[in-house]
Amino acid sequence: MKKSKFLKNNIGFLFILPWLIGFLVFKAYPFASSLFYSFTDYHLFKGMSEFTLQNYIEVFSKPLERKALIVTFKYAFMTVPLKLVAALFIAYILNFKIKGVNFFRTAYYIPSILGGSVAIAVLWRALFKDDGLINGLLAIFGIETVHFLSDPNWALFIICLLRVWQFGSAMVIFLAALKGVSVDLYEAASIDGAGKWRQFFSITVPLITPVIFYNLITQLVQAFQEFNGPFIITAGGPRNATTLMSLLVYNNAFKNYKMGKASAQAWVLFVILMLFTALSFWSQNHWVYYADDDGR
Amino acid sequence: MAGNNTKTLSQAEAHLRRQRIIQVTLRYFVLIVVGVIMLYPLVWMVGATFKQNSEIFTSMNPIPVHPTMSGYHDAMQNYGGAINIWKAMANTYSYVIPEVIFTLISSILTAYGFGRFKFKGHDLLFSAMMAMLFLPQVVLNVPQYIMYNKFGWIGSKLYLPLVVPTLFATETYFIFMLIQFLRNVPKDLEEAASIDGCNVMQTLVQIIVPMLMPAIVSCALFKFMWSSNDFMGPLLYVNTPAKYPATIFVKLSMDSDAGFNWNKILALSLISILPSIIVFFAAQNQFVEGISAGGVKG
Amino acid sequence: MKKKALAILMTSAMAATILAGCGSSSPAPAASEPAAAPAAEEKAEEAPAEEAAEEAEAPAEEAAEAPAAEASGDYEECTIKFDWWGGDSRHEATNKAVEAFMAKYPGINVEVNFGAWTDWETARALEYQSGTGSDLTQIGSNWIPDYDGDGTTFIDLNTVSDVLDLSQFNASDLEKCLDPTGQQAGVPISMTGRIFYWNKTTFDKAGVEIPKTIDDLIAAGKTFQEVLGDEYFPLSLGEYDRALFMSFYIQAKSGEPIIAEDGTLNVTEEQLADGFAFIQSLEDNHVIPTIAALAGDGNVTLNENPKFIDGRYAGVFEWDSAPLKYTSNLAEGQELVVGDELDFGNGKTGVSAKVSMAFAICASSQHPHEAAMLMNYLLNDPEGIAIMASERGVPASKIGFDTLNDAGMIDPLIAAAHNGVYAANPMFFSPKFDNGELKGDGAAYIDTFSGLSYGDYSVEEAASILYDAYTNVCE
Repeated sequence: MKKSKFLKNNIGFLFILPWLIGFLVFKAYPFASSLFYSFTDYHLFKGMSEFTLQNYIEVFSKPLERKALIVTFKYAFMTVPLKLVAALFIAYILNFKIKGVNFFRTAYYIPSILGGSVAIAVLWRALFKDDGLINGLLAIFGIETVHFLSDPNWALFIICLLRVWQFGSAMVIFLAALKGVSVDLYEAASIDGAGKWRQFFSITVPLITPVIFYNLITQLVQAFQEFNGPFIITAGGPRNATTLMSLLVYNNAFKNYKMGKASAQAWVLFVILMLFTALSFWSQNHWVYYADDDGR
Repeated sequence: MAGNNTKTLSQAEAHLRRQRIIQVTLRYFVLIVVGVIMLYPLVWMVGATFKQNSEIFTSMNPIPVHPTMSGYHDAMQNYGGAINIWKAMANTYSYVIPEVIFTLISSILTAYGFGRFKFKGHDLLFSAMMAMLFLPQVVLNVPQYIMYNKFGWIGSKLYLPLVVPTLFATETYFIFMLIQFLRNVPKDLEEAASIDGCNVMQTLVQIIVPMLMPAIVSCALFKFMWSSNDFMGPLLYVNTPAKYPATIFVKLSMDSDAGFNWNKILALSLISILPSIIVFFAAQNQFVEGISAGGVKG
Repeated sequence: MKKKALAILMTSAMAATILAGCGSSSPAPAASEPAAAPAAEEKAEEAPAEEAAEEAEAPAEEAAEAPAAEASGDYEECTIKFDWWGGDSRHEATNKAVEAFMAKYPGINVEVNFGAWTDWETARALEYQSGTGSDLTQIGSNWIPDYDGDGTTFIDLNTVSDVLDLSQFNASDLEKCLDPTGQQAGVPISMTGRIFYWNKTTFDKAGVEIPKTIDDLIAAGKTFQEVLGDEYFPLSLGEYDRALFMSFYIQAKSGEPIIAEDGTLNVTEEQLADGFAFIQSLEDNHVIPTIAALAGDGNVTLNENPKFIDGRYAGVFEWDSAPLKYTSNLAEGQELVVGDELDFGNGKTGVSAKVSMAFAICASSQHPHEAAMLMNYLLNDPEGIAIMASERGVPASKIGFDTLNDAGMIDPLIAAAHNGVYAANPMFFSPKFDNGELKGDGAAYIDTFSGLSYGDYSVEEAASILYDAYTNVCE
């Protein structure tokens, strides 16, 4: 018994060995470098002259950086819940017996395939411009022109909508999870006379909490690292209303070659995400149900 | 009371049926409305491939007023005989397919290792793995470039900087996802298999993998889509046009100094995403119906 | 205890990777060999087997034209790499020219790399940095100060002047491609300056003459509004356009470039404030739409703005080389004409012109001599000139310009615009003006000009911010 336990320990380690090698060879060096750069004034073409905390101080003190941080939080807290709810709701409906379900599933996934395509950049701007399709529709209901692209208060919203619209991948994961919920459970529940919505909240949701948890974390990570939307649609404007942190990081690292500054900004994002994730993992005990939990 | 039974029942049935009809209608209504919003861009894009620039920017009507085929005609251009859209797509899939396969294998192994075994440093390593998600890729690009350059991989005709890392489970998203799905699988089956004399590898292949099939197929789909859409990686690591993938090829003519025809760009984008759409359409039944085992749990 | 052990394991492993990364130059191919081979040195002893193999690929079809080769002196059989960015027609023409070059000089095999502008600069910058840049490379005018600040990225082209005819270029143009150490880092392919293009159809509709002076333009703003309505403007300027137009305004007044040739700042905060007030007056007088209006139009470049396409925005302030992207998008019945540089009073236009793009040879090149031959072929050989035509603007090379001009191969609109710029006797245009910290997304130009237009900044605040940014770049 003891021997087999010892073997089991090693086998677990063997299984993760490919990852560990990849981690050490491909990830450790870039990670360590960027952490190191973040404490320097490293410029790709001007070199490095001093160690400094200036980069970190600037993230919280310079108006542009501070605004980017705030905007990033706003963006994440708008996008993640909307996207998760949309994805779960649609996945739930698609999980019923529906005619043409293959067509619908594909249709809903298409925005995710289009992704950051140049076509989306053209279309999204055309939809939301002052005399665009959306304002045309609003006019029918007597609503005055909304300046989606030029009003700093609205611009972030359309970037957020772009991501919510691409709920396909979260939906696919929910679908895969919903398919794993046993039909027997539903049957038992409907004999009990539970309504569809009660079934959903009292049976379905608890059973797929591990996957909800997964989607929550990954969507949070993606939202905090969002780059594509502002990059292709607003270039961070108007008045930096859509300058998310990752856009700043990109401009500093790839356009101005200020690796030190970019790295510090990236590591601030890193710490934020780390805290959120740690918090989520800690909260798991209260709401996530694991079938394999053997009381560890 | 007994006399009313039949009547009440049929009333109840009629009520139920009516409720069902309302529910079903509502469901389709939602599906169709959302479907239109989801599909409109694709429809617009198809229409726009037949328009001239001036019409693309002045009209949101998906149906072209002065249709032209020049977008598709131009899309077939090859540059000095080195590359055309078909070759570019072949290039894309020549590294995307290995990437998908390698990612799946290495991620399944790693997820199994983390999800089902306890070993020294398990929690610390798991945290290290999760942490890989949190740093924006763009700050890693420069150190990675320097590293791959030292390996002599820049400009590799085999796309080594793109493919080799996937052998080593570098995509935390998929490992984490498989772990989450795995944790929803009760251990009874594996214990039974182990009593039957299966070793851990056999258990993985014969029990775990079939149970996880929906998640595995989702991973494969995502990796396929993401790799096919990757622009920055190939831009940095591929420096011969003959080896350009579709993402770069699509943008080859986008020169803001000289101006360019959008219908060509849109036609190219459309052609280059068709495989993704087809793959998704074909594969979706795999993650929905291909799993009788999935019904066992719960 | 457990954690500590792991931490040690991880750090040591990390260190091992880093060390391995540094030490393992052996598996790397030729690309990462020491890059600093003296550029002038003519290599005779190198003839690696791979090059011999690649030579077999050299096109044989056009071998009939080969005899000309002997006249051009000695060269080595080798493979060189050449990269450029651009659009379709440039790719096509350049590929053709490269093939013709290989036919003319059998034994030199040219591998090409080309792409679109997006992130192209970054990818090349990483190559220059890691010593894997192409032998011959197309660069923007600000790349020399940005990537060759110490003169080690690109070779001094004087060392290859035996095959590269530098006498075809104006000394003043060549000076603009010196690196900070005084070496000839690049050769200008074309020079360019900003000029005005007007939608004649709209101006006729408003009953307004094409403006010649700044006063004409300002008067046109009011007339447009009265005759055609609020949606019509005689000119449209984005943030960078405003920065340039403002520099013309300041330069017309002061008579000297805002950034001097030695890179020092030549403008005061007060002058900038005056400039911002001028730009603001254009908005106030209905001469140009606000930044918010342009964003509301869909955040697109002017040539893709529906209001430009249908003639509501009737003026464009653009490089002399770039009118065709506007004319090709205009709706039917609209006509775009090139105007004069605007007179800010006393015949002063404040125009400045810059190197549009240049060719350079990377210091890491093993075959600078052959790369220079290719450069010369593209810039100074009538055969190459004819194939390349005006794909990279109006040639700066005298023979290049004459060849195309005589053959009538320069688009009439581009030719007129180019003449218009040079008729105004342009001043020096510093590459620092285009520095990423001024011109980039969210950088100083966008910040100050949109801030002013949105009403977030006063004229003085905008001037103060921009002045600081200029000082930073110019120090």
